[in-house]
Amino acid sequence: MSLGFLAWRHAWSHPVRSLLTVGAVSVAVFLVCFLRSIVTSLDAAVTASASNRIVVGSAVSLFQSLPIAYRTTVGEMEGVEDVCSYTWFGGRYQSESNFFAQFGTDPEHMMRMWPEVVMPAEQKRDFVDDRQGCIVGRTLADQFGWKIGDTVPLIGTIYRRHDGAEWTFNIRGIYRSTKANVDEVTLFFHWDYLNEVLERGDADGPRGTSVLMVKIAPGYTPEDVSLRIDDHYAAGPQRTRTQPEAAFQASFISMLGNLPVFLGSIGAAVLVALFFGVVNTMTMAARERTRSMGILGALGFGREAPLRLYLLEAALLVGLGAAIGLLLAWGSQDTFRRLLGTQIPMYHVTTDTMVASGVVALVIAFLAGGIPAFQAARLRAAEALRRGA
Amino acid sequence: MPRPERGETMVRLDGVTKIYTKGGVELVVLDRLDLDVKAGSFVALMGPSGSGKSTILNLVGGLDIPDEGSVTVGGVDVDALSPDELSAWRAANVAYVFQAFNLIPVLTAEENVELPLLLTPLSRAQRREQARFALEIVGLADRMDHRPKQLSGGQEQRVAIARALAMDPEVMLCDEPTGDLDRASADQVLGLLRRLVDEHGKTILMVTHDPQAGEVADRIVKLDKGTVLVEGAEA
Repeated sequence: MSLGFLAWRHAWSHPVRSLLTVGAVSVAVFLVCFLRSIVTSLDAAVTASASNRIVVGSAVSLFQSLPIAYRTTVGEMEGVEDVCSYTWFGGRYQSESNFFAQFGTDPEHMMRMWPEVVMPAEQKRDFVDDRQGCIVGRTLADQFGWKIGDTVPLIGTIYRRHDGAEWTFNIRGIYRSTKANVDEVTLFFHWDYLNEVLERGDADGPRGTSVLMVKIAPGYTPEDVSLRIDDHYAAGPQRTRTQPEAAFQASFISMLGNLPVFLGSIGAAVLVALFFGVVNTMTMAARERTRSMGILGALGFGREAPLRLYLLEAALLVGLGAAIGLLLAWGSQDTFRRLLGTQIPMYHVTTDTMVASGVVALVIAFLAGGIPAFQAARLRAAEALRRGA
Repeated sequence: MPRPERGETMVRLDGVTKIYTKGGVELVVLDRLDLDVKAGSFVALMGPSGSGKSTILNLVGGLDIPDEGSVTVGGVDVDALSPDELSAWRAANVAYVFQAFNLIPVLTAEENVELPLLLTPLSRAQRREQARFALEIVGLADRMDHRPKQLSGGQEQRVAIARALAMDPEVMLCDEPTGDLDRASADQVLGLLRRLVDEHGKTILMVTHDPQAGEVADRIVKLDKGTVLVEGAEA
């Protein structure tokens, strides 16, 4: 037996109360982990962005297309190693609730410029060779049960076919992403295929491309190349706004408002509520155990004994709850990646988040256990026995 | 603590005054009280409620400090010890037996007896052995896995005595140990305390209202209003 054992027995002397406390801590820690992970997952897309890539878009709006001729012109500019177009397709798969992103792109350029998109070589080749082919992220494939060779029918909302038919794409590859700046819930297809249908007059929709991604040649800085591109198109026909890939990613996050502050406020409120809950539990426990603390004093235990017992008890309850909350947060990543889908496609719980949440929980345990502990430590044994009688 | 020989003074209260303040009113619980208790003797403290009996036990055990006078146990000036020294001294030399038994409800009988032994350098196995031995002395070896709720009042008090015995203290302070027991259980407990004095040389100070309990003691000290009213001769 030890004081730790006694603290454990004390902690479970009221199993329902203890279970409720553990449950409350679990939920709170899980929630704090979840909220923080949303912020870190969004940030990760920014921090993981390549420093040698820039994104060229319309200076008017992201929803304004650039002429496709820009792809060639930009590709020939000094300091540009490669360029790739990305055109937002906005198709609907079966129903509106199945929303995911689709982009028309230049497959060979995309493969060269995005080493973080990983696929077997034969799948890359099949994608490049099939004009109607596409690749999908593995999370997206898992979500809809797609496999190589399947056909994905999309109803065009921006690009509508005159015959009312669906656009169909053949899955030639399922990619995974090695970095947070590329999600695994997107479908990429040949821009050329889209353009051909438009050129034939079989469908309506904006011509051009949404953005161009540019890879900077060695020896050139993104700032210089960005300036060169924007200067070149300063007089039109469509003015451009060129920014680093990280800034481009960040602009999507800023569309959500000041999310970190908003989520941080909720997280802080959860922690404050948790703190009061644990203080309440520990204060009730301390009141019930005044006599036991007097007994320990009468047996010869020093004043640090109640201090250690209450802190241990709080640490046990909060520690157990925190462990469950952390396990839930860790174990539910796949589920949340699926549920949050296109909003936060690369949702993940970092080790830093787990450690920070665990430390915050233990600090709360220390404070919540410390209040009754210090009160008990100040009480003389004789007084504790009298009060507890 | 040097161990006085049987018959030498073990406990001495010299001009002890203790005042409690409650609701702004001062209450003199002990008034310049003098008391000597010999080693290896069994002294019963009797008197009406509020006469200061339990306060004497608290002072002898160092749970409380006198406002005036001194308390000496085995030659050690108890009120001169620091809180840490007092805890260590108490653990090694004094044990309490309370009217309400004061066992820790979440621990078994064996664990309750083992509890004070955590303060010693004994190994876990040694602690358990000593706890079981103490439970055997009080005749409860077969109840060691029972929690206090599963024991009768008499058995709980015997576990409390075993816990007191486990540390092999010089002085046992018993605060109405039979107050919550029926006659048969009370006689059993009193017999056990008597045996601890006779066979193990313990010094016992027992607060009691029970005249029959007083008869088991070597000497009865009657208190009233914080002073010694009648002091019986050592048997």
